[in-house]
Amino acid sequence: MKSGRWDRLVMAWAWISGLVLTVSVATLLGFLLIKGAGTLSPALFFGDTAPLDALLLKRQVFDGIFPATVGTLLLVGLAVGMAVPVGIASGIYMAEFAAPRTKAVFGLFFDILAGIPSILVGLFGFSAAIFLHHHFSGQIAPCLLISALSLAFLVLPYLIRTTLTTLENLPRHVRMTAPALGASKLQTIFYVLLPQSLSGIVSGIILSIGRCAEDTAVIMLTGVVATAGIPASLLSGYEALPFYIYTVSAQYADQAELMRGYGAAIVLLAVCALLFALTAFIRHRLADHLLYGVR
Amino acid sequence: MRSQSLIQGLLAVAAAGSVAVTVLIFGFMIVLGLPLVTSGAFFNLFTSSWLPNEGLYGIVPMMAGSLFIAGLAMIFSFPLSLGCAALVAVLAKGRVPALLHRLVRFMTGIPTVVYGFAGIFLLVPVVREWTGSGSGMCILSASLLLAILIAPTMILFFTDSFAGVPGSYLAAADALGATPVQKLVHVVIPCSWRGLTTGVLLALGRAVGDTLIALMIAGNATAFPGSPLDSARTLPAHIALVVAADFDSLEFRTLFGCGILLYAFTTLTVILARRIVADKGGAP
Amino acid sequence: MTRIGRSLYSMIAIFISTLLLTGVSPAVADDFSPFNDQAGIIKISGGTAHIPVMKAAAKQIMQRFSDVRITIAGGGSGVGIKQVGEGLVDIGNSGRKPTDDEIAKYNLKMFKWAIDGVGLVVNPKNSVASLTTAQAKAIFAGGIDNWKALGGADKAINLYTRDTASGTRAVFWKKALGKGEISAKANVVVSNGAMKAAVANDPYAIGYVSVGHMDESVQPVALDGVTPTLETVKSGQYKVARGLFSNTQGEPTGLTKTFVDFLFSETGQGLAAAKGFIPVK
Repeated sequence: MKSGRWDRLVMAWAWISGLVLTVSVATLLGFLLIKGAGTLSPALFFGDTAPLDALLLKRQVFDGIFPATVGTLLLVGLAVGMAVPVGIASGIYMAEFAAPRTKAVFGLFFDILAGIPSILVGLFGFSAAIFLHHHFSGQIAPCLLISALSLAFLVLPYLIRTTLTTLENLPRHVRMTAPALGASKLQTIFYVLLPQSLSGIVSGIILSIGRCAEDTAVIMLTGVVATAGIPASLLSGYEALPFYIYTVSAQYADQAELMRGYGAAIVLLAVCALLFALTAFIRHRLADHLLYGVR
Repeated sequence: MRSQSLIQGLLAVAAAGSVAVTVLIFGFMIVLGLPLVTSGAFFNLFTSSWLPNEGLYGIVPMMAGSLFIAGLAMIFSFPLSLGCAALVAVLAKGRVPALLHRLVRFMTGIPTVVYGFAGIFLLVPVVREWTGSGSGMCILSASLLLAILIAPTMILFFTDSFAGVPGSYLAAADALGATPVQKLVHVVIPCSWRGLTTGVLLALGRAVGDTLIALMIAGNATAFPGSPLDSARTLPAHIALVVAADFDSLEFRTLFGCGILLYAFTTLTVILARRIVADKGGAP
Repeated sequence: MTRIGRSLYSMIAIFISTLLLTGVSPAVADDFSPFNDQAGIIKISGGTAHIPVMKAAAKQIMQRFSDVRITIAGGGSGVGIKQVGEGLVDIGNSGRKPTDDEIAKYNLKMFKWAIDGVGLVVNPKNSVASLTTAQAKAIFAGGIDNWKALGGADKAINLYTRDTASGTRAVFWKKALGKGEISAKANVVVSNGAMKAAVANDPYAIGYVSVGHMDESVQPVALDGVTPTLETVKSGQYKVARGLFSNTQGEPTGLTKTFVDFLFSETGQGLAAAKGFIPVK
């Protein structure tokens, strides 16, 4: 029967798609893991500096990815630290206080912000840095602070969106109980709604952390450099893992450096896998929470 | 209560500030790109080729590069994503859907630079040997990798919209004796066309806006690409490469022309996507 | 010997052997001593050919003096000149002499601490190892597009060139190609290291790179019979040469001056030589 053959074709197409996707990803990642597995050791991070000296910042590390790792950690910490208060506050405002018109307009802007290519955020950060350099203080240049600010702009929409969605999806009875007991709007938000939405908000934060850790386009334009050691101040250049990987892939000087690139790629992958597992854990842990109901 | 309106005010300021950022980014680009218009080079931007030595700063080859790479990536990725989504949501039973879904969610977290790194050392030599010509750094390689990059976005969107099909429709189809494929093709896909279109639009926006894949893999030549095996440069890669130039010069200011173009394109996809969702009465 | 004498003797012995083991000889110690009471950050950017020397110098200085920090970025000669002129960095490296316009506009002070050449390179597996200037011009303009026209395999020639901010490119274009055209279809790479990696990985590639960067992963191509090597650049036989400059805005002061002086010291010049360049002293 014709529909039988058609059925089989479609089935085949679906299974082949699944197979192609799985095999592609497995090949790409497997290639990296196989090539780079041998490099995973303290030497990858610390080069020929003693690990303890490096960790206590007594000596600089050369030929190791420790400075890049520290740079990424600082960057993520600063960016997320700046974005989280503003993002969550905006999300709360959108969910609880905004008039429908305002909500629609603001929502449009946040969606646009989410869609802006990261290179444009980087270009903006770079131009702003130069502008400030000329008009405010000669000290300001593309640096850790500018990069962190730009990254904060990049992840702001994620935080707003997850806070908003989580708050909106709270069951109605949760919203109605506290006011019924005499709580004010603010009290309801901070004592009832936010704690209930914690898992969603934390997922958003983890998503932002991942985004900041892996982004390359923004930091390329706003202050990351090839060699900087541990950044001495917020206004100095710094290294970062994604940029290290990019630089090595384009211009490795010798096999040893190429191998470090593979190692760095594995480290970055491991960080992302960790964040993924964390998100899954949070979601799983609260899967039977009243909040999510039956999915 | 004083504190209530104070806190409410603070929250409003936060939200307004976030909106201001969006506007600020656009504003900066317009203001800094203004000399392009005043010096008359604006028209050249969209009509000529990139020949800085002759004072021609046309970004036509980069627009073509972006179009071809993103377009080819969508051509590869759409059937792939649709098939995977079909597999996860409708067609497969048992452990496969859950595992594939988990893999796709994991893929959204893989850094682009890691894809690029693997691409340079694995994909580029393979493409070079297979096609027999060119350096392997070309539109084809970039599109293949980009297709894998944007597939998870589309797959997740598609599976979510498949899941939104009313259960009664599926039950009705089952009652009529439809096979899973017939259910997919005649009920699920037509019902979720809004989600499908939104997913495609957003993935397209992502594909056009991506910097690293094209920067690392597509070769970055400044000529108008003639074939998928030609080296090409996309608008974001162009920005990344030229930003090193003199920032008072006309050359640098053309980057803001690129920026406005990219901003306009992604804003358009966002507005279209919202339109589609809103028509259905969906969330803002 | 008395007990005290013995322990004194062993202390001195240990002290001297420690000095020797850590490679600190009296002459070398002098080159680093100006850094002794200095602290601060030196920001360097610009020419990519300079980077190996900058990195080596930074490593040696930072290992000895923990109060001194040096950040190094690339970007090409154009970037270096522009950034030092704008005050974004302390030292801007360039692989070409800054133009008179640039010197006047930014009040640049130039310091040439090494000489380098720019040579054509192909993949080690390529049988073509010698070209005339006319052939090179035709290849880069796109006129000759297959290796078999040059006696090699029947494969298309993959061109690699540098971005427009590159001093290496400027020197190559002017001196080797005689300001001839470089095809817009060429792959663009952003640094000497990137050029080297690209040509090393592509069997049918041709590009140009700093002589100091050449190693076994790429094969230098003789131009009009002269192979670009350290010796031929030094003797003047290979004509496509350029100086490696470190530029500052106005006269350098403080830590920046100490670093620039270091580049001209025995250790600094030794580093330049070790990385494949020709020291000026």
